Amino acid sequence: MNDLSNAINVLSSGMRSQGRRLVHIAENISNADTPGYRRKTVDFQAMVDGGRRSGAVEVGPVRLDRSDLPRIHDPDHPMADEGGYYDGSNVQLVVELADAREAQRSYEANLKMFEQVRRMSSQLMDVLRR
Amino acid sequence: MTEMPALLDLAASAARHAAARQSMIAQNVANADTPGYLAFDLEAFSPQVGADGMRRTHPGHLGAGDGAARRIALDAVANDPNGNGVTLEDQILRGIEAQRAHGRAVTIYSTTMDMLRAGLGRR
Repeated sequence: MNDLSNAINVLSSGMRSQGRRLVHIAENISNADTPGYRRKTVDFQAMVDGGRRSGAVEVGPVRLDRSDLPRIHDPDHPMADEGGYYDGSNVQLVVELADAREAQRSYEANLKMFEQVRRMSSQLMDVLRR
Repeated sequence: MTEMPALLDLAASAARHAAARQSMIAQNVANADTPGYLAFDLEAFSPQVGADGMRRTHPGHLGAGDGAARRIALDAVANDPNGNGVTLEDQILRGIEAQRAHGRAVTIYSTTMDMLRAGLGRR
């Protein structure tokens, strides 16, 4: 039973982390046309609880994509410089959509395992109930 | 009649093994996107695990198990660019396997209990 409740904790940490990842993807997509916006990414890391790894996962600090911002030519833009260029954002929609799809798949896998663990513990409860 | 408690013991340790295995698989699935994480699993359940016999009670003892199934690494190489070695499909299948093993063990346990109760006339 201890194993099963540990599994439920680990799986819910997985779902929470994938949810956080999706939040940053949504921020990136909605700011795809914001001038000067840099793409945000998060890394997953093992959660350390009381000095040892608990097996759960958490998201690390938010990092900004340091790749060059594209120069967009639009002399009418209020932020354009003397040459008529301004900095766009380095968000690529295709990359964000692929990332979102992967996060969704991982979330579903966590949910599926959660369902299995829940069924196992309810089987155990049925034995107790007899 | 003396086989019954032994059978209960066996079914209980099989269920414990399946639960421990499911917990490991849950860790693998939760870490499916953690850079540098490699998947692992428990070795298969054998009735000898936890049975009477030579048992290791001190880490320095040789030649006997400590009564718990050992964990084994699944893949030596990572198949993702970020060093992650978890294949979700494989893990879900292993999870279903553990769930079925658990269901089987619990069913054996409760059926044995029913038989014991019937033997005591308290059906």
